[in-house]
Amino acid sequence: MKIAVCIKQVPSTNEVSMDPATNTIIRDSRQSVTNPFDTYALEQAVQLKEKLGGEVVAISMGIPGTERLLRDAESRGADKAVLLTDREFAGADTLATSYTLALGIKQLGDVDLILCGKMAVDGDTAQIGPELAEQLGIPHATDVCEIMEAGPKQILCRKNTDWGTMVLRIQLPALLTVSKDINLPRLPSIPGVLFGLTAPFEIKDAITLEADPGRIGLTGSPTQVVNTYVMQRRSEAQSIEGEPASQADKIKKLIKELL
Amino acid sequence: MRNRLIKPVDQDYYEYLRDESRAMGSAESISFPKSLSDVISIVQEMNRKGIPVTIQGARTGLAAGAVPYGGHVLNLSGMDRVLGMRFSQEGRFYVTCEAGVVLSRLNKMIESKKFNVTSWNSGAKAALQELTVAKEQFFSPDPTETSATIGGMVANNASGARSYLYGSTRDHVTALRVVLCNGETLLLRRGDISASGRTISIMTEQGSNIETQLPSYIMPKTKNAAGYFIEDDMDAIDLFIGSGGTLGIITEIELELLQKPMVIWGVNCCFEDEKCAIDFVQAVRTKMKNIAALEFYDGSSLEVLRRQKAENPAFSKLRTVDKRLSSVVYVELHCENEECAIDNLKEIAAQMKISGAKMEDTFVARTESDRDSLYFFRHAIPESVNMLIDQRRLDNPVIRKLAADMSVPDRYLSDIMDMYRSGLEKYHLESAIWGHMGDNHLHVNILPKSTSDYEKGKALYQKWSSEVSKYGGAVSAEHGIGKLKTDQLALMYGAEHIEEMRQLKVAFDPKGLLCPGNFFTLEGGGDK
Repeated sequence: MKIAVCIKQVPSTNEVSMDPATNTIIRDSRQSVTNPFDTYALEQAVQLKEKLGGEVVAISMGIPGTERLLRDAESRGADKAVLLTDREFAGADTLATSYTLALGIKQLGDVDLILCGKMAVDGDTAQIGPELAEQLGIPHATDVCEIMEAGPKQILCRKNTDWGTMVLRIQLPALLTVSKDINLPRLPSIPGVLFGLTAPFEIKDAITLEADPGRIGLTGSPTQVVNTYVMQRRSEAQSIEGEPASQADKIKKLIKELL
Repeated sequence: MRNRLIKPVDQDYYEYLRDESRAMGSAESISFPKSLSDVISIVQEMNRKGIPVTIQGARTGLAAGAVPYGGHVLNLSGMDRVLGMRFSQEGRFYVTCEAGVVLSRLNKMIESKKFNVTSWNSGAKAALQELTVAKEQFFSPDPTETSATIGGMVANNASGARSYLYGSTRDHVTALRVVLCNGETLLLRRGDISASGRTISIMTEQGSNIETQLPSYIMPKTKNAAGYFIEDDMDAIDLFIGSGGTLGIITEIELELLQKPMVIWGVNCCFEDEKCAIDFVQAVRTKMKNIAALEFYDGSSLEVLRRQKAENPAFSKLRTVDKRLSSVVYVELHCENEECAIDNLKEIAAQMKISGAKMEDTFVARTESDRDSLYFFRHAIPESVNMLIDQRRLDNPVIRKLAADMSVPDRYLSDIMDMYRSGLEKYHLESAIWGHMGDNHLHVNILPKSTSDYEKGKALYQKWSSEVSKYGGAVSAEHGIGKLKTDQLALMYGAEHIEEMRQLKVAFDPKGLLCPGNFFTLEGGGDK
């Protein structure tokens, strides 16, 4: 089974600082990390490969520095990695990104399964997985928390929904996005880390991908970020004393003031 | 006039009668001073009335040093301001804080470079400006309990896994302000006052001179938190670091920061045989210079984790190791760049092979979240063991965990491992061994199942204390003597030296009011 895993580089901290002048994330000295959900997708791919044989390819669209994260994926069990990087890709929204990723995945040959994290922790859109499946014209399931059966032709998986559990049988090739319940991602071993240093790694630009210039980067992005802002949060504790009834009154008043 | 800071100990304050050692004491009054002048006024009143004072921080100690034996509890947790910062010509940063500042909070401030500077002078603010543009800094002592206060860490000379490379708290303290039992204060800056041989003379800020003889013992040449730090021509500041609150009340501390290494990688190296793990530790500590922590977890510890993971959903994300593997050595590498770290990984792989292990049996943490998962693994061991003992205590309240905290010189590592193993086997005692093998400092935890196990364990523990003392080791390398290990301190140094320590205390605290029961009692032998 040939499995592609999509990897995104995200800031390493939850406390993202925004530049109020440009509305962009201030990237400090802290290194970027692999989107946490993608690490579960990778682990699932490696487990399937260990069970069924085949190959795992890690793929990302990003800045050249993403090579570090792709090599990290190789240290954890991916066999090779492909980085789609080009200045022309900059400013891509989810549509342009999924188009670009689809071109990259098509060039990998016959991919049976594509695994993504259910969303990225910086953009929080959860759109790339489904959009990529549509670009490739294959079925998809989101938020998968268990792979119950896997074979060369189809996969039986489970996803939790707001109203219960859904069990899906899906024909391959297909795309799944996974949640954190699906497994516990492994740490690389020393041989794994050493493999990652020299493992097959390919860089592809817009020309290699034969991309339509009108469908990539900022040009290919119908959505634009007009404004971003950091939520102003404030926390304070007040001690409310008195009889229960009067305490309840005071709490009611406080809530009203805040609403 | 009645001091309004002093409150009677009623039900609301019962938790202040115990600490993490789970020993319970008693006290009549308690105070939570907010400033140096508060401390002075309280101490003066207690001194006038002859009431003993037990000093507390966050009560995270494991030897009952903060548990009061009657009298007054002086809890410094309200003195939690960072007072300033200094930047030296050599490019080093120093932070001054009050004793009640909690370690995790200080670490966060240093990491984010954000401090409340309202009361800072212009020099301190300028130093912070320097810090903002400087490479990342850190305070290296890393006790497991990051809710400890800095004052408590200094009083106990706390250490942690990274003390293997960077030393204990002592090595990072450059100045102290200490309130003596009569309310006079000392300002001790490293390098200012030294003993002459074994005689020391210190002037208070108020102009009184205290001159005294220092004990004549030679300290073990190992990691050591047992008794006073004493050396010929020693710096006066070292007398107070690790003094368990017996000489004075540490209210302000200046700490030296270190430049954070660019690359921090952790590796769990797994072994099928404990002897191989010991061989590996002995080999890498002589050959490798970038190791900051060298920790060990034995087979029983690993089994405790497997059970915990299976039974407790809170531990479901624990990465346990295969049953085939009976020991784990955690190596933390601190390097200037990734090339150096890779070279170190290769060396670890080579040494594992020589020790009869496989380099495939390793878990490498290169990212923060991966490192956190290895720390979770490490911290889950004591936590799980404590939970196990708490469970057993429900059926038999007599039993307690017995935890050894001893260290010996490098050449005796195999000997003490043999000593621990043969003792535990002889008396059929359940145990879990983990800790700082790089420093020959293992936390041997005896897990009694019955009162008889508990009694046998206590006797064995006493026997180990004598043996370790014969090897030139320390009966407590990290947790301190407090009130629970005074017998062991007496075993280590003997009655004569305990008497010298007592005399030293009397020079600073003539009425014996500060932290009575820590290290020794004021009268009688070295025992409780």
